[in-house]
Amino acid sequence: MSADDVAFAQRGLAQAWIEFESGLATVPVIARLLAGRLRLEDYRALLLNIRQQVVEGSRWISRASSHLSQKHEELRSLFVRHAAAEHRDFLLLEQDFAAAGGDPALMRATPKNIGSEALSAWMYHAAGQPDPIGLLGAMFVIEGLGQRLALPWSEAISAQLSLPAEAVSFLRYHGENDDDHLAMFDEALRLAIAGRADAETIVRHARVTARLYRLQLEELDNV
Amino acid sequence: MTRPAYISATGQFLPGEPVDNDGMAAHLGAISEEGLRMGRLFLRRNRIRGRHYAMRPDGTTEWTLAKLGAKAVHDCLDRAGLDRKALTYLASATTQNDLMVPGFASGVQAEAGLPPLEIASLQSVCASGLMALKAAWREIGAGDHEAALAVGAEFSSRYFRPGFYRGTATLSEDGILPADAEFLRWTLSDGAAAALLEPKPAARGISLRIDWISLRSFADRFPPCMTGGGIRGDGAITPWSHAASIEEAARAGAFQLRQDVDVLARMLPVWVGEMMRLVDLGRIVPDAVDWFLCHYSAHNFREELIDLAVRAGCMIDEAKWFTNLYEKGNVGAASLFLLIDDLLRSGKVEPGQTILCAIPESGRCIMGYAQLTAVGPG
Repeated sequence: MSADDVAFAQRGLAQAWIEFESGLATVPVIARLLAGRLRLEDYRALLLNIRQQVVEGSRWISRASSHLSQKHEELRSLFVRHAAAEHRDFLLLEQDFAAAGGDPALMRATPKNIGSEALSAWMYHAAGQPDPIGLLGAMFVIEGLGQRLALPWSEAISAQLSLPAEAVSFLRYHGENDDDHLAMFDEALRLAIAGRADAETIVRHARVTARLYRLQLEELDNV
Repeated sequence: MTRPAYISATGQFLPGEPVDNDGMAAHLGAISEEGLRMGRLFLRRNRIRGRHYAMRPDGTTEWTLAKLGAKAVHDCLDRAGLDRKALTYLASATTQNDLMVPGFASGVQAEAGLPPLEIASLQSVCASGLMALKAAWREIGAGDHEAALAVGAEFSSRYFRPGFYRGTATLSEDGILPADAEFLRWTLSDGAAAALLEPKPAARGISLRIDWISLRSFADRFPPCMTGGGIRGDGAITPWSHAASIEEAARAGAFQLRQDVDVLARMLPVWVGEMMRLVDLGRIVPDAVDWFLCHYSAHNFREELIDLAVRAGCMIDEAKWFTNLYEKGNVGAASLFLLIDDLLRSGKVEPGQTILCAIPESGRCIMGYAQLTAVGPG
């Protein structure tokens, strides 16, 4: 571990996040949310379209953990725990979808949209590399959505659509429970980064993941 | 830029005697017991101990914003030893002008007795001070002017009097003001400060060469956070002028300053992220900074800023931080000039030192940084 390289990664990730937020604000459904003009069908589409990717989340983390060699044993423990903690989160999405007037059977049957296909293909590709520490950058982006946006989004959605708390449980759960993930993430970076190349790989994975996550939201219902 | 520009003199004006925390409620007027309790909490967090008000406790005043600005202009010109006729450019910064129309710089020019000159009225919140400094810097740099003055001023206390809340929908049925309205009453105060820019350093004392100024807005992803003139409701903010009548706009609380504290907290990573961008660009070199003038609006933000900066390897040693927040309060658009003026008056700056200014704005998220280099007499 080199403190300079970890700090370099932190700076790169922080900037990747700022670009990501800027990009998100241009996605039509998010722009409507930020402008206070979200429609109920927008929210249902959002839930429907992220569900398949949320299901895949713990799977690609599991795959990544199986590709970590012995030199990353501590990191592998973190990945395994993370995958276990999140592997049934998609059930909350199904519950929210039903509470918002959607049919859970439709949710289970709907394939990934083409943006989700690209995101998922990238994640599995990255997870299949030897010692895929770059995926920490991907986790930073996806966890960042939970830590920084889930709570304000859940409040905005509830307020704009007059929905009860049980219809925004997925976002609320992440908004309220992901705080300690930041400290865990800092620890993971320290464990993973042995030089500047590692730091650059992590930042690059964050940037690619952020763009593909946005693509998933841009391609709502384009299955 | 064809030539450099130097801050060759600075000046300030703070109205009246400093008001301590115990004197605040008597000065602004208490709205409810709950409001006083919130006030104590906000003061514990921001750690401001003193500030100045241009409004008397009885709600009357001899001041206008333009008069406060003019006093700072005079102080600056006096200290520069520059005849006011030599001044050919004036950039002004404030959050809310005395009048909605015309611009603030016109008011300052008239009050300060300045002859015909070019003006620019910059309106935003804290970052407007940096906008005015940048405008003046560019004017000197382009060779259009030989003496340009940037002034920032605020007179917020007039909006905080109880009469501005009574009879409006902002007050709850039991007479309590929501935290987003009460917060600013215990945060902002009055004053003005100015900086004179010339293409050469002053003949005596320390001048500050402007190396670069960076200012970026992030309104693309944030809703309005600090607002005045809007009617809040259902996630959207309606301009006061869209109400059916002026009475209706007033009753809806449109003419009050509000601060969404939750949105404010979400801006911190963006503000520090902007510093990281400048570090990666090689513009900010944290270890090379001798004085860090950070306009943080409250002490609790300082602690969070430090946490984020340390993690990203951008921390500037706390021994190099210079602040006047605790004694002079948060004076919005005047803060940048007030910080620079107080630093120069402290006598601690030596030629060759690097000064980094950081000016975040919560209005709808702006982050500005400026680097200055101290130079001896020209």
